[in-house]
Amino acid sequence: MASKILKATTNLTGMAVSKDPHYALKLLYGKILRDLKKIPATATYRKYTEDIINTRLGHVESETNIARLERKINCGQIEEVIVQAENELMCVRRMAMNNVWEPLASQAPPNQWKWPIA
Amino acid sequence: MASSLIRHFARPVLITGKGLFSAATQRSIPASSILFHRTQATATPPASTTTTNAPAPNLIRVNVEQRKALVDFGQYVAECLPRFVQHVQMSSTNELEILIHPDGLFSVIAFLKDHTNAQFSSLADITAIDVPTRTYRFELVYNLLSLRFNSRVRVKTYTDEMTPVASICDLYDAANWMEREVWDMYGVYFTNHPDLRRILTDYGFEGHPMRKDFPLPGYTEVRYDEEQRRVVIEPIELTQDYRKFDLSTPWETFPKFRNAVHDDAKQRQESKTPELSKPSTGSNTENKK
Repeated sequence: MASKILKATTNLTGMAVSKDPHYALKLLYGKILRDLKKIPATATYRKYTEDIINTRLGHVESETNIARLERKINCGQIEEVIVQAENELMCVRRMAMNNVWEPLASQAPPNQWKWPIA
Repeated sequence: MASSLIRHFARPVLITGKGLFSAATQRSIPASSILFHRTQATATPPASTTTTNAPAPNLIRVNVEQRKALVDFGQYVAECLPRFVQHVQMSSTNELEILIHPDGLFSVIAFLKDHTNAQFSSLADITAIDVPTRTYRFELVYNLLSLRFNSRVRVKTYTDEMTPVASICDLYDAANWMEREVWDMYGVYFTNHPDLRRILTDYGFEGHPMRKDFPLPGYTEVRYDEEQRRVVIEPIELTQDYRKFDLSTPWETFPKFRNAVHDDAKQRQESKTPELSKPSTGSNTENKK
């Protein structure tokens, strides 16, 4: 696949050109979707994140040309998209650990957010 | 008329290896959500009509698109993290504020940093407010910046002197010094901070100077002593006692309301000798001024 690597650099410090972004993204998106299964299906966070990831995964699977894929995802260069996927994976694990979908822990005391105080 | 006052800002353009791309990417919040309706990334803003009749320079120009995006994003965060988000509001200057429960501080900031639709990868500032009359006297304020979506968000939570809050040093390296500053100035304790020490005050300083109960001149005084030939720290000595200022103007700006002024001494006199002072109050003050 000679068309896979088009550029010599990302022009971003510390960010190397990805050799096989499709593979990396499929791997990460698979992990994210698997970890999202640990969150209840009713949780809004799970619903929204699954939507985002499935849309992006669909683009990755359908589009082989990297430049066109970047334009379809519309969130920066493909290397940045990989970083976003890594972050999202970390986020999913944290959210699952902290049970963010539960009802409000407790309301603030009265007048805690009142401003001006008078 | 109102629409003609709104100026649409030009989108920033980023030069990459492949040519010109619009840097103003939009968050792709799923269409399945009923609450949100996002403008497409490719939609161009309507042609500006401000060229012919430019708005007055002192008017605040509200970027309607940006404001709507922030409102939507605030609802999105509140839906995603119902356990911790207590309230979401827009400030008077169109800045998004997320008010959260202190237990969820780390989770909320981690969500804002790592979630694909947020990406607030830059921590602008951490600060606090001291309001002693509240149940939790300190209000912690975190300002975040998303370079990807060109938007800012403010996260607020609360604590008091005895309740520690989670440090976010694991997420942002910048938080290290900022949390030290909040600790130094307000005495808010952060758990899991790698190096929580004073940062701005002098060696051996006691107290937290930005607290409301900290006196303005402080407790100690530092000066160079000629005899001992070194800097000495001494308890502060005030050369003058506190004065009682009478802030009512002597020029009688509103003679109709002259009795409403808080003149405690006169009131006490009146209550002691009501039969003498009452008929004479009006003429007395009139003669005096």
